[in-house]
Amino acid sequence: MSMADNGWGVWVALSAACLGTYACRALGVKVSGQIDQNSEVFKWLSAVTYAMVAALTVRMVLMPIGLLATVPVWVRLLLCALSVGVMVSHPQKRMVPALCTGTMLMVTYGYMVN
Amino acid sequence: MVGFGAMGQTNGFDAWVTGTTSLMMFALPGQVVLLEMLISGSSLVAIAFAVTLTSTRFVTMVVTLFPQLHRRDRHLGLYLWVHLLAMTAWALSMRDFPRMSPRFRLAYFVGLGLPCWLIAMPGTVMGYFVAGWVPVYITLGLIFINPLFFLLTFTEVKPWSNRLAVLLGCVLGPMFYKWDADSSLLTTGLVAGTLAYGLDRLWLRGKLGPD
Repeated sequence: MSMADNGWGVWVALSAACLGTYACRALGVKVSGQIDQNSEVFKWLSAVTYAMVAALTVRMVLMPIGLLATVPVWVRLLLCALSVGVMVSHPQKRMVPALCTGTMLMVTYGYMVN
Repeated sequence: MVGFGAMGQTNGFDAWVTGTTSLMMFALPGQVVLLEMLISGSSLVAIAFAVTLTSTRFVTMVVTLFPQLHRRDRHLGLYLWVHLLAMTAWALSMRDFPRMSPRFRLAYFVGLGLPCWLIAMPGTVMGYFVAGWVPVYITLGLIFINPLFFLLTFTEVKPWSNRLAVLLGCVLGPMFYKWDADSSLLTTGLVAGTLAYGLDRLWLRGKLGPD
């Protein structure tokens, strides 16, 4: 890894990435000024956004980068399924117990394997 | 962000570079793409383009969230506050805004987004320096919280068109990812979202009555 030799290049790339990311947020503000929340366009865009965010989440579970990739995919899916099960097991949604279930099981798995 | 810090450290990046991405980009998928492309030695233009492409979701995230704010709050200051918008603040605001008076919505959003943003850089730097000496199983638990949390918020999504969109996004997302990774979020969103909206409009709404 020779990133240190090429310090300025990294910073230029970082600046470009920051500008591109902020431009998307700013464009959202600009467009949102012209959209009514009861319109059909708004409903369509909501669906598009939820689909994007869902795809992002699935990507984090199925195709993770780094440490999570060392956990077999069936373990990841099983823990997700169990957590969602806890979440919907009660009409009064259980976010915290569900999060704890998944996290603790993942820690337990890591402890047993390593 | 802790996991991202660890990623920066293990790939030989500066702590400053790693931390600054969290502060100035504050968009994890884009940050990961940036680091990966720097590691593989991609060109500057390609990096800028790919990162911007992964951030296109922000356009519609803002467009779906900000029209719900009170008219009084929809001013130029939003160009500043919009930087705080990321997955967590968006998901929680989308869930809670309908139950809230419009007057309080901006304060709620800033109250959620500001702490998230403020801890992003310390969290990243912490992840950078603790990578290696915290037991692996603890790190594993920490990095699993994020996707799990997003997954769980989906069980609370309300209108049917959005539920359908989440479902279709989960199925089509990996397929489009295999096809072209960088543009996959955008293509999945457009295809799955439009399909969900169309199905809801043509079929579900007629069946369940107007709204």
